[in-house]
Amino acid sequence: MTGPLLEVDALTVDYQTESADVRAVNQVSFTVDPGEFLGIVGESGCGKSTLLFAVAQLLSPPGEIVAGKVMFHGRDMVRLGRGDLQSMRWRDYSIVMQSAMNALNPMKSIGAQFKDTLEAHDSVSKEDVGRRSIEVMELVGIDPAHLKSYPHQLSGGMRQRAMIAMALLFTPQLVIMDEPTSALDVVAQQSLMTKIKDLQRSLGFAIVFVTHDMSVVHRYSDRVLVMYAGQVAEAARTEEVFERPLHPYTRGLMSAFPSVRGPRRELIGIPGSPPDLARPPSGCLFHPRCPDVMPACLNREPELYSVGASQVRCLLYAEEARKAS
Amino acid sequence: MAVPAPNSPESTAEPLLRAVDLTKHFRLGGMFSKQVLHAVDDLSITIAEREIVALVGESGSGKSTVARLLAHIYQPTRGEIVYRGRSVRKLRSRRDLLWYRGEVAIVLQDPFSAFHPVFPISHGVMRNLALHRPELSGAERRREAERVCETVGLGPRMLDRYPYEMSGGERQRIGFAQALAVKPKLILADEPVSMLDVSIRVGVLNMMASLRDREGVSLLYITHDLASARYVADRIVVMYAGNIVEEGPTEAVLSNPKHPYTQLLLSAAAEPSEKEAEIAADSGEPPRVINPSEGCRFRWRCPYAIDECAQITPRPTPIGATQVACHVAVAEAERASNPASITR
Repeated sequence: MTGPLLEVDALTVDYQTESADVRAVNQVSFTVDPGEFLGIVGESGCGKSTLLFAVAQLLSPPGEIVAGKVMFHGRDMVRLGRGDLQSMRWRDYSIVMQSAMNALNPMKSIGAQFKDTLEAHDSVSKEDVGRRSIEVMELVGIDPAHLKSYPHQLSGGMRQRAMIAMALLFTPQLVIMDEPTSALDVVAQQSLMTKIKDLQRSLGFAIVFVTHDMSVVHRYSDRVLVMYAGQVAEAARTEEVFERPLHPYTRGLMSAFPSVRGPRRELIGIPGSPPDLARPPSGCLFHPRCPDVMPACLNREPELYSVGASQVRCLLYAEEARKAS
Repeated sequence: MAVPAPNSPESTAEPLLRAVDLTKHFRLGGMFSKQVLHAVDDLSITIAEREIVALVGESGSGKSTVARLLAHIYQPTRGEIVYRGRSVRKLRSRRDLLWYRGEVAIVLQDPFSAFHPVFPISHGVMRNLALHRPELSGAERRREAERVCETVGLGPRMLDRYPYEMSGGERQRIGFAQALAVKPKLILADEPVSMLDVSIRVGVLNMMASLRDREGVSLLYITHDLASARYVADRIVVMYAGNIVEEGPTEAVLSNPKHPYTQLLLSAAAEPSEKEAEIAADSGEPPRVINPSEGCRFRWRCPYAIDECAQITPRPTPIGATQVACHVAVAEAERASNPASITR
């Protein structure tokens, strides 16, 4: 297959509230190649989860896609009907949610939930269900005996693994993950991430991975999309971002982590909090918190400029990008 | 084996808070059930004035139970808590309890269940003020509430919002604001930054450090993140399955961790600058603490476990500046200091 697996083009999502429409995702475009690991980073309220929901066509009112396309398998998912989407879900793409405890049915055993999923999307025999269930449990490294277990009987790490096992029932080409490790302890988190990466390498599916943890992104992703206030602030290959972060916000995110080994130094983080999207600031949305703010930032909205192979939404690079083109 | 002193040698002065052999068991199941969950076992901890102590461990290690015991929310099954020379167990009257709760405040872990859903945020903060600082007038209370809101980086507008209107990070900071309102001497902060965004996290950590430096507040900082513990804490206490496995001055513990569990935690701590580092093969499964038998509770996950580990529960033993509860590490340290007495 040539070309990207998933192509999101100028996707825009509004939440309609009584007082105003809130633009949670604003003209976001990105592509995911087959087998690629795309990390989407940003703080809470930056629209990253809304973006995932919009891509997966899981938005419910008051959220609504008002513009843009989501091309997957050559079809625009935004225009697809319920039935078409239903047949694509789990088979072609699947989703692993942040909290497995809430995503799994507490009243059913893990095996029964696997069976439901398999039967809903395929006509499978009882033997096939059993065989496939055991296969995916072994893939994620849980004893298949736990197919009989209920979600509450599993530890947090195992529940997340079970969710991932479920997402892999049909070997989809795309797995969307919304902070699957954020509720876990460091040790469990590392072991789960290593597992996800191993599975991705061996099965070759693409991952869109939402997180606020820069270190996870750095270790595992191929490309990074930094989001701020519903917009793409920076998009680049992972090494590029970490070697030469362009956007002041990206730099802030990267310097916000204390280190366990290096020298102990004071960190600054990013002062202030993300903007209220019902009343966004003028000009660059990041200007009230930006350490490198210029007078122009207050009234001129930056575009997404291309700098080398990266893209960045910051006026610091407007000149550079203009010269290059 | 020498019986370890409950306090580290340098703290000869009476610490702010001292807990000795703190134990909390929960009975599980029905009336005739014999299942007992050992959340905390024989834990001794001290917190000095102007000190940030980090209590590090994974979920299920009992660290939140320790916070609740110290906050006098749970009654210990066994053991004693002494706060400024007074036994917390003996605090019974409303006045004494109010005094203790004014001195020792707790910031809860889950900001989603910590607030009353039908009242605006100001309700909790103002109520705290009315209870603990009755000398303030209504207008002063409001001003004070706005001040603590600003201390945690929220605008005064926030006070009129309802919990459901706020993000997790905002709620977490309100939790801190609520605790700060009573001007406590000791804040028990149960994973105060685990649900916060990275950009705000550093702000809260810095705020904790400045509370210590400027206002002389002590903090028990409960976390599973070693990096942030290192960033703010003077001392680190590592817990596993209800026991302390290692404790000591922050740098002493982290530069040379002696307990295998501390080593595991340190190896799992992601460094933003490292690419797919070598990670110890460990599933991170939580320990079994229901009716635990004698012996080290880490032995099932421990790569160095010896026979002794299954028979005798290791007690914290001084090795250099730190205390370590591990037979193997203690034996190794003894061998290093006294090569003639090798018995194996």
